[in-house]
Formats: sequence, structure tokens, C-alpha cells
Amino acid sequence: MASVHESLYFNPMMTNGVVHANVFGIKDWVTPYKISVLALLYEMTASKITLPERRRLNKLILPLQQGPDLTLGQFLQTVEECCPQTAYAVKLRLHEMADGELKDMEYFFSTLPTPFTAFDSEAYKTSVVGLFMRHMLLAYNKLSFSQVYKLYKSLQHYYHSHYAKPTDGQAGLAAVGDAVLQYLCKLLRDKNDNAPSRGPLSQKQAEYFLARQAYLLKNDENKALKPAALQEELNNMLKFNPDFAEAHYLNYLNSMRVQDIFLSAHSLLHYFDRLILSGSEGKSNGDEGYGRSLRYAALNLASLHCRFGHYQQADLALQEAIRIAQESNDHVCLQHCLSWLYTLEQMKGSDSTVLTEDSVKMAAHFCLPYLASLGIQSLVQQGATQGKTAHKLMDALKDTDILHWKHSLSELIEISLAQTTSIWRMYGKSTMALQQAQLLLNMSSLEPVNFGVQQNNTEAFTVALCHLAELHAEQGLYSAVSEILQHLKEQFPPHSQHAKLWMLCDLKIQFERHMNEGKYLLAEPLVTAISALNKTEGLYRKAQVLKALNRSTEAYNILQRLQVHCEKTKCTEMIIRVMLSTAELHWESSGFSTALPLLLQALALARQHHLQSLASETILHLAFTQLMLGVPEQALSVLHEAIEPVLAHGAIMDKGRALLLTARCQIAAAGFKLNGQGQADLRSAVFGVDTLNEAAAYFSKLNCKERLRDVYYLQAQLHRSLGQTSQSNKSAMLFRLLDQELQSPAPPVSMRL
Amino acid sequence: MAALCGEFGDLVQIKKQLISVISLFCLSVCLSNNFYFLFKMQEDAQDLDALTLAKSYFDLKEYDRAAYFLKGCCSQKAYFLYMYSRYLSGEKKKDDETVDSLGPLEKGQVRNEALRELRVELSKKHNAGELDGFTLYLYGVVLRKLDLLKEAVDVFVEAIHALPLHWGAWLELSNLVTNIEMLKSLSLPDSWIKDFFMAHMYTELQMIKEALQKYQNLIEAGFSKSTYIISQIAVAYHNIRDIDQALALFNELRDQDPYRIDNMDTFSNLLYVKSMKPELSYLAHNLVEIDKYRVETCCVIGNYYSLRSQHEKAALYFQRALKLNPRCLGAWTLMGHEYMEMKNTSAAIQAYRHAIEVNKRDYRAWYGLGQTYEILKMPFYCLYYYRKAHQLRPNDSRMLVALGESYEKLSQQVEAKKCYWRAYSVGDVEKMALLKLAKLHEQLNESDDAAQCYMLYIQDIFSCGEQLEHAEVSTALRYLGQYYFKNKLYNEASLCAQRCCDYNDAREEGKALLRQISQVRDQIETPSADLFTPLSNSNTPVRRVSPLNLISFTP
Repeated sequence: MASVHESLYFNPMMTNGVVHANVFGIKDWVTPYKISVLALLYEMTASKITLPERRRLNKLILPLQQGPDLTLGQFLQTVEECCPQTAYAVKLRLHEMADGELKDMEYFFSTLPTPFTAFDSEAYKTSVVGLFMRHMLLAYNKLSFSQVYKLYKSLQHYYHSHYAKPTDGQAGLAAVGDAVLQYLCKLLRDKNDNAPSRGPLSQKQAEYFLARQAYLLKNDENKALKPAALQEELNNMLKFNPDFAEAHYLNYLNSMRVQDIFLSAHSLLHYFDRLILSGSEGKSNGDEGYGRSLRYAALNLASLHCRFGHYQQADLALQEAIRIAQESNDHVCLQHCLSWLYTLEQMKGSDSTVLTEDSVKMAAHFCLPYLASLGIQSLVQQGATQGKTAHKLMDALKDTDILHWKHSLSELIEISLAQTTSIWRMYGKSTMALQQAQLLLNMSSLEPVNFGVQQNNTEAFTVALCHLAELHAEQGLYSAVSEILQHLKEQFPPHSQHAKLWMLCDLKIQFERHMNEGKYLLAEPLVTAISALNKTEGLYRKAQVLKALNRSTEAYNILQRLQVHCEKTKCTEMIIRVMLSTAELHWESSGFSTALPLLLQALALARQHHLQSLASETILHLAFTQLMLGVPEQALSVLHEAIEPVLAHGAIMDKGRALLLTARCQIAAAGFKLNGQGQADLRSAVFGVDTLNEAAAYFSKLNCKERLRDVYYLQAQLHRSLGQTSQSNKSAMLFRLLDQELQSPAPPVSMRL
Repeated sequence: MAALCGEFGDLVQIKKQLISVISLFCLSVCLSNNFYFLFKMQEDAQDLDALTLAKSYFDLKEYDRAAYFLKGCCSQKAYFLYMYSRYLSGEKKKDDETVDSLGPLEKGQVRNEALRELRVELSKKHNAGELDGFTLYLYGVVLRKLDLLKEAVDVFVEAIHALPLHWGAWLELSNLVTNIEMLKSLSLPDSWIKDFFMAHMYTELQMIKEALQKYQNLIEAGFSKSTYIISQIAVAYHNIRDIDQALALFNELRDQDPYRIDNMDTFSNLLYVKSMKPELSYLAHNLVEIDKYRVETCCVIGNYYSLRSQHEKAALYFQRALKLNPRCLGAWTLMGHEYMEMKNTSAAIQAYRHAIEVNKRDYRAWYGLGQTYEILKMPFYCLYYYRKAHQLRPNDSRMLVALGESYEKLSQQVEAKKCYWRAYSVGDVEKMALLKLAKLHEQLNESDDAAQCYMLYIQDIFSCGEQLEHAEVSTALRYLGQYYFKNKLYNEASLCAQRCCDYNDAREEGKALLRQISQVRDQIETPSADLFTPLSNSNTPVRRVSPLNLISFTP
């Protein structure tokens, strides 16, 4: 249907079926804004400016050249901030052109210093300014008759809209009487203002915009445009230039942000369809570029499916990429494929150590430091969970760090620091972890784009901050924790990709707090939220809540299920925790002897994997069991082994519990019976008093009232046995107060650690 | 429909209506090559001079000039011509600007500057209720151009109510209706022209059966000589790939309307599919004589060269078609096919992508993209494209077979089986799905299923009557022979073996199998044949399992 009013949307100028985006091969076009920049440059060379002003203006030139077109108001304002005198001169010159005639503009272009003649000025032909001016002159000279006139018209419009806007708008509205008309005008204007927020971008500006947004998406998502705004901007760009392939890629990244598989797959494939064309257009070696993009297209598709958790699809796409890469002997691409292969295996939950090792070797062979150290980091992670010795892991990390600094792979440096933090925490060395986290947080960015700026929006930073929050929570510094979490919330708003990390961390901290304070009913709803973010963790927490609420059978069932699951996924930390919880369940049914083998097994596991904090925790459990079995001397000697690391690295809760246990052991070893009869060794009982005092201090810090009550009870008993009636009475009163407050009856003999 | 279905008297009524329209509006304005506008004459005689002058300028495409001389006129038709001239002037300038823009990025921004003013003025009049049928139509077009589609639909419906016999408004409305629910929700005037519209819409929405029914009713009601209806029916048959019917209708159409160029590209597609070289050549030469600078002509010539395997020339002509109308969807796709033939995959991808840009629902372009990537040996990558194509044409066996093949290459046999079976169920055009399914079963050692499929395949091939070139009946017979032999059904096996001997490539094996069978029979010497039902006269051997069971086997 070739009717008259069907618009000719684009003009297919093609050679060999390929439509060229730039018909004349010109990347830059003259716009009124560009003329203003030219005028600025002209004034800068022509007039005398003081040195600091010149320096400020020089700093301004590059952003002005690369940025999107500004309105005249914005432009003049930025210039004015640097040098009011030049701004005035520029305004004058523009005024001359806009209020004059076409010949004034022509005159301006003819008087511009040609970079070929000006040898000693800044506008020499190879300088940034010179290149820009040459581009502009060339573009101007290529304009046709009507285009020159159009340019002049738009310059006039550009200049006058700056001055006319505020007054003209009101006058226009007042003049037109018809209300409907007014409304419509406004509607149309609004619509018009919204759609192209900054007007069309030139090729270079668009490239800059895309590069900038892509960089921000990767490193500092918070600063990038909001997904909807970015989408709109991209749609706008694609409307102006449907051949702009990179925009499709950014579209893909943007859709990934909002987890839209449909659109992201669509954009990715569209991008590569377009890329294949520009590849075959043949800047370098046509066939090579073409095949190359095919391989990477398949690889990218694999990564897309991998990110959405479609492992089978990802596998198929990866096989395809590998096959094509093999056929064309592209080792670099194969290397990338291999590193994705082991990532995929890991995500599927199977062991991929061999693959990773291979990958590292090959990457080193082909001199791909990034892939090599990524592989090593992955190996370290696997090694840490599988119980490799600590010094080997640390050595490996140190070696990669040398590599990173050599090639300034700042991203990997961050990851490596975050990884070290995690490893130290896993081993239970909180001080070391704290130190590494601080190291990372105080490090400045090494990226060339914003060099020296302290940037903290990558995944590594999130991990470090989460660790920091948890470490503070362990020490009971809840105000600091809430500050850190607030910062995390600001830096990583809930929709961003790393938000899940801090959400889980936040929930865990809240849960622990409620559990410590004995508010089990408050902790229960958190379990659902935790399970949504991490299933295993959620199950474990559920078991804990159930245990605290004395629903032992249910708790036991869950723990059994969890243990089977964790043994399958080789999650050692969780296995040990589950064992400890199971042992606690056994205590409740007075099955102290049945708990022992479990605890010993847990201890062996913890030692094998160098998990110090868990090992000390297990020892505490063991000691408690022994105490309950009536061998307090034995318990005391076991405790000595654990008390030191607990006091050095443990959480406040652990410290309190450890001291309380020690005190109980000491009292029991001294021969006290809790009803106050029998012979006792008074000297060791005095130790007991001190230990209890210390424990009470820790518990009161955490506001852990139940345990505090136990402590007071023991204190009262002890003081009475020692004949210190006034102190005994004081403790008894404290106990009485707490008991009234808590309302739940205290267990006759504290049956827990 | 009631107005149409019946007696001849209604037809007379329709004719009367048409004549009255034409006699009432004696001044006709040609607005485009598709539709005609008619003008009232009696009233506003004072505007006549200005109107006649403006009309002449308008015909000469001097729109601004026409608008200038119409400015003061107040009659309805003068007002319409005034507005329409301004609109067309804006459109013309926009097209001119596109070539002469300030840079490629500004290109998309070039717009018809007149639109906004027109909208403001027209909406004012519209609110006052001063618009007649034509101006309402113009208002609708303006709204559509401003992407205010919802308002545009309302205005077009209004325009149709005001002037039901204006086909242009109906056509514009048809472009805005996206689905059947929307169509049903419109309140349209009960006129005979509504039936034409409904039939047109059904064709657009791929509801071919309903469309054909509508057209049949129209023919029965007396429009049997209308070339428009014949062409529409032919296009409908083309869409459901009933090639013979469509060809017959097109031939009839060419007899009745020999200088017709519309829809001839569709005709050439049909001739291409049937490889009718002389007819296509005749058509191409004939059209060139009529008008060689028409999109349809270029497409026909492109098809002609493509059939002669001169793909460079074919691509050239498709390019020419696109220069004439860049929004011509078919040409982009066809050009993609040509580049595929020339093994220029990157250009093919570009052409297909352009086709998709023009119309996202073009299944042939998606299918073509899939094929391109399949040629590049990326079976997983092409899955996405085939799936897209399949989404758009859920009942087209070609996409399903293509999907199945890709899955087979990825060793996803379960999915591949599903695809092939579905392809067979929706009516396989190329008769390949069953064969592929059978081979797949054969590979997976599911001999019962494989035998079933081969059997169905043979039935299918023979039932369609003609001998297909690629038919692999011999393969099927060979397998069935061996299968029956293994299952000790010697009668059936020997029958298959005998039939094998009809084919060159399977003759030796057939004979060998026959020998084996006779050997075995000699050994047993018990007449096993009695145990089975005697063979029927049909072409196919007796089946051991009924085809119904197959459904339960195959997903």
C-alpha cells in the first residue's frame, strides 16, 4: 500500500545489502550547541584570560565536547562559573549570529582558526581541540544549501529559546483565550519535553553515554540511571538510530537488572545480529570479525541462561560456543568458555576442581591474567569449603594478588580482599577479618574512569560491609550495625543486584538478637524471610526457633533433613552447626551420653577444616555434657582449651556462655551442691564468684535476661554458701526482679549451655 | 449480513446507494491511488471558484498553494480540502527533510510539523460537533500519526458512522485493530460495507476460515464479479497454503482484470513455490509493460530471477522495491532469502532484522533468521528464532520440523519427538516429520514406535496421491520388512520386501530379505500365515498395533 502519507522512515542506501548508518562517513554533525562550544574555543584563543581561569576552562573543554548537547542556559552557566568574562564574550558572539543574518554565521566559520595554519596555538591539528575543530569544519563544509539554512534556523531557535522561555510562555498563555486550546498546547508541550529529554545525541556522545552507563551498571549501579529511565533513554536512542547496536547490549544489561529474561534474551540476540553486520563490514579482517562475534554470541547466551539459573540451556549454549571456537582455533574464546564451564558446574553444585585447575593452567599459558586469577580465586573458594590447609589458600591468594597489582586488575583485588575477609571469618579469626574488611573499605578505586574516587558499590564491597555488620553485631554494638546497614541500604537499594546479600545479613542479625533476648515469637516470622533468600539457612533457623519453643520433635525432623542435604552439598560449617543443635536436643531429653559421639564427630570435622570458632563452640558443648554427666574436673580441663580462643575472637554471647560454664564447673568441682550443703573448697569458689561476675557483665551487655537470671541465681547460692549474706540477698533480689519480669518459670537446674 | 444474504433486491439497493453517493458528490478528489473522495456541490456555491482552483493545485501536488486559496472558505468540503492540503504538505516536507537532515541521529526526529496545529484545530471543531465524515477521517489520521491510537480508533469509528461508504476510514481502522476481542468490542454501523470490512479483518487476523466464509457469502449475495473479492480470497488461500486454489483464483483474476498490479507479488510467490517458470516469466514481462516502477513489479521480477537462480539480480530488484517503499515487508524477507542463497549470511541477517523492525509479527523473517544460524551450525542459537516463528504460527509444521531438527542436533530427543509429532498432528506440509520421527525412534531402539511411524508415513505418502521427490518410501519399507521379520510376521515381511523391489536403492535388500523369509519358512514348514488375518488390498501392510496406540507412545 504505497499511499502518499506513508512516511519514508528510512532511506535504504546499501552496498551489498548492508545499510550504512553513516551514509557519508561523518560521525559528528554541527549543532547549535557545537557552535557555542566553537565560539567558546574561539574566545579562549582570542582574548586574554588569567591563568587560573584558563586552567578551569581547559578542564571544562573535554566534558563539553563529549557530553550531550546542553541548553544555552546550562552551557553559559557552566562557563560563567569558570570565567564570567569569557561567558559574556561567547554570549555576545552568539547574539551577533542569532540576531544577525545568515552571513554572520558563515563569517564566524570562516574566521575560525584552521588547525592547519595555527601551529603554535592549542588548536594544532593533532590536539584534542584541533581534532574537534577539524571535525566541525569538515561537517560544516559538507552541509548542503538547505542544511546550512536549517542549521542557522536552529541556532536562532537555540539562542532565542533561552531568553524567550520565561516571558513568552506566560504571554502566550494569556493571549489565547480558549481554555481547551491552552490545555492542549500544554499537554503537547509536556509530552514533547518529556520524550527527548536531552535531544538527539551525536554518535560520539551516544557512545560515551553508553560506555558510562555500562560502566556504572557494573561498578556502581546506584549511580546509573533507574531501569525505567535508562530504558526510555535507550528507546529514544534506538528510535533515532536503529542501527546503533551497542544500545541493544545496554538494553540487555538493563533488562538483566530487573530480571526480565524475555527482553534481555531478545536484546542480546538483536545486538549480536547487528554486531555480525558491522563485523563483516570489514574494518579489519572481515571474516575473522564475523566468526568471532558468532562465538561470543553463543557464549553470551550461555551466560544469560546461567544467570537466570537455566543450567541445562546454559550448558547447551556453552557446548555450542565451545564447538565453534574449537573449529576456528580461537584459544582465547575457548578459555572464556572453559571458565564459564567450571562456573556452571559449580552453580549446578557439582565438583569442578579439576576443570578449574585446567582452566587456570591454560589461561596462564595463553597469558590471560584475568581468567587465570579468577580461576585461582574460584579454586581458593572451593578449597576453603573442602578443608584445604589455610596456608596453602593464603599463599595462593597472595600470589594472585601480586598478579593483580602487576596488571592493575582492581576488580580482582577487591574480590581477593573480600575473599580473605570471608576466609578469616570462616576460620573464626574475627580480628583478622575485621582488618581485611577495613583494608578493602579504605581502598581507593584504581579504575581509570574514576581514578582515586572511593567507590564502594561492587559485590566485594557488599560482602565486606556485611561481614563488618555481623562482626559488630557479635560484639553487641547494635547502633554501629544499624548505621552500616543503613549505608548498605542507601548504596544498594532493594532492587539492585547485590541487595540480597545485605538483606540476608540484616535478617540474620535481627534473628540472633531476638534469640539472645529470648523473644522467640519475634524471631519466628524472620525465618520465612530468611528461607526466601537462602533455603538452607532458613531451615536451620527454623529448627532453632522450634527448639527454643520446645517443639523438639519437629526441630529434630528438620535437623535430620538438613544434615542429609548438607552432606550432599558438602557444606561443612552447616553440618557442624546442625550436629551441635542435634546434641542440644539430646540434652533436653537428658540424653547426655548420646550427645557425646555427635559432639566428638563435630569436633573432628571442625578441626579438620580449621574452623576455630566452631571447634571452640563444640568444646563448650562437650564440657557442658561432661558437667552434666558429673565429671566437672574433666569438663574444666577441656574448657581450658577453648576459653582462650573464645575470649580472643568469639562473640560476646559465646564469651558469656563460656564464662558461665566455667563458673558452674568451678563450683561443681569445688564440691558445692546447689542446695548449699556439703563440704566445699572455698578458694576455688571465690574464682567462681569472679567468673560469674564477668559473665553477668557480658550478658547484661546483650540484654540476655534469661541467662542473667541464671547467673544471679548461682551467685545468690554461692554467696549464701560462702556466708556473705548481704551479697546473697542482693543477688537474690536481682534474681527475683528478673524472674518477675520474665514470667516464664526458671528451669530447676539450668539445662542449657 | 442480513442485508446481503438474500434477494437480489438488496443488491439493487446497494447500487442505488453507491450511485446516490456519487451523484451527490459530483466533485471527486483523488487522494491516493487507493481511494476516492467525493464532494458535495450544491451548497456553498460562492466557494466554488476557490475550491476549483484549489482542487487543481491539489491535483498538481502544490498543497501549500491549495491551502492558501482555501483559507477563507467556510463550506464543509472546502474546509476538508484545506485541512487535507495542509496535512499532505506537512507529510511531503517531512519526507523531503528526511533526505536532507542534519545528521543521521536527527533522522528519526523529523516529523510532520503541521500535525500538532491540525490536531488542535480539529479537536476544537470536533468538540463542537462540526466535523463531517471526511474531516473526521482526517482527524483520525492525524491522531494516528501522533501515536494517539486509542483516540484515533474512536474517531475512525465516528467517521464510519458519519459516512459508512468511505472505505478509507475502514482501512485505517483495520490497521489499528490488533485482535479479535478489540474487533468485537467496536460498535460499527450496520451497513453492507461492514461485511467487506469484517472479511478483511479476518484475513488480517489470520482467521482464514471465517474470512473465506464471509467472502463466499458476499459472492452469493451478488458480488461474484468483484475483482477485489476474488483477489482477497486468493490471498486468503495463499495464507493457508492452499496453493492450487489460490493459483486458480489468481488466473481467473488475471483474465478478468489483465492490467491489475495489486496482489501480483502474492501470485508470483505462488508461482515460485510451484516452480512454474514460464508462467512467472510471462507475468513478469507483462507487469513490466504495465508499470515497471511499482513495488509489486519489482517483487515479481525478483522472484523470477530467484527461480532462475540468478540471486544477485534478484536481490537487486528487491532492493529496488525497497527504495520504492521501505516499509514493504515482503521485500525485506525475500531479500534475506536471496542473500541466504548467495551464502552471504551477514547480509541475510540484516535483511531479516529489517523485516522484523517493520513488523515484529513477520514469522518468515524469524524463520529465516533461524535458518541462517542453522547454516552457521549454531543449533542452540537458532532455537530462539524458530521458537519465535512457532509462536507466531503455532500450526505451521515447517517451524515445528525446524525446531525438531534443532533439538535433534542438540540430542534432546524428547523435545525433538514432541516437535515432530506435533508437526504431523497439525498437518505436515512437507511430509517429512513422520519420517524424521521414525528415524529418531529407530536410533533410540524403540522399534515398535519406529514401525508405527514408518507405517503412518507410507500411508501418508500414498494417500496424498502424487509422488514426492524426496519420498523415502523405500527406507520405510526396508525397515518395516526387517521389523516384521524379526517379529516373525513373515507374510507382512515378504509383502514389504516385495514392495522394496520396486525401488532401485532397496531392490537388493528386498531380494535378500525374501530369500531369508523363504529359508525360515522352509525350516518351520508350518503355515504360520493362517494365524494372521489375510492381507488387505490396501497399499499398506497390516499393522500390529493400531495407530491409536501410537498416540500413547509418542508424546
